[in-house]
Amino acid sequence: MILEFLNMGGYGLYIWLSYAFAALSLISLYYVSVKKLNSIKNIEHLYQSEKVEEASVSAQSNRF
Amino acid sequence: MFGIFKPRTFFNLANTSLFWLKIILVFALITGLILALLFSPIDYLQKDTVRIMYVHVPSSWISLFIFLIIGISSFISLIFKLRVFSVYAKSLAPIGLVFSLISVVTGSLWGYPTWGTFWSWDGRLTSMFVLVLTYFLYVSLWSFIKNYNSAEKITNIIGIVGLINIPIIKFSVAWWNTLHQPASITLTAAPTIHSSMLAPLLIMFFSFCILSLIIFLIRYKYEIINFRVNKK
Repeated sequence: MILEFLNMGGYGLYIWLSYAFAALSLISLYYVSVKKLNSIKNIEHLYQSEKVEEASVSAQSNRF
Repeated sequence: MFGIFKPRTFFNLANTSLFWLKIILVFALITGLILALLFSPIDYLQKDTVRIMYVHVPSSWISLFIFLIIGISSFISLIFKLRVFSVYAKSLAPIGLVFSLISVVTGSLWGYPTWGTFWSWDGRLTSMFVLVLTYFLYVSLWSFIKNYNSAEKITNIIGIVGLINIPIIKFSVAWWNTLHQPASITLTAAPTIHSSMLAPLLIMFFSFCILSLIIFLIRYKYEIINFRVNKK
């Protein structure tokens, strides 16, 4: 039963490789993104504590 | 006009909604995978290989949609000098790159048992490959160019120029005689795909959208903090 499911009518190799590649790529991207954020999180208060200027919606300003 | 796009909006969204987005993602992804791998019927021609569609098609849609957002954001950033839009584009680009790679690789793995070849330089496959290269160039330039203003300008131009490829990908199957089948789902006509296959496809698409949003919020938060810190 399980072998039949894994075999997927003889196409299991292609199907499982596709799903594995997608899963690995997306998990890696998520992991790298979280790691990057965590590396800088200890200085997050610099952004949180100050009264952050609102987005510049004027054409003259080019800052956050 | 651009008030809702202010940095705080997404920064606060990242702080408050990530937990719930992850919960939704887990439920949607489990449902989608169970339907795709266990309950969706096999195709009368492609047999079980049709199950690759549930990863391949949503990845392709998302990679195209993300590049569309990058192109529009680049245009707004370049014309209106609104830096926040280039940060949106910069945060989205790695997500689009990964989804476009998934699309090409899974398409190739689907192609071999269906067409008898992993690759063919036809309209759809080549234009999709160009999209991967454009994403790669975009992401690389942000990494290699240390001056923020220069990187912003060059990537904005790449984002705008790269937009040309989006309609080419979309209509390549209609313009040229390709190995790739025409679209089964369009915005203008009823889908030609059975509901038993459409349901898992849409659920997987929804899951990938939520995952993209989660990763975008994380990366956006990083970019905003990083920019503020480097500015000090």
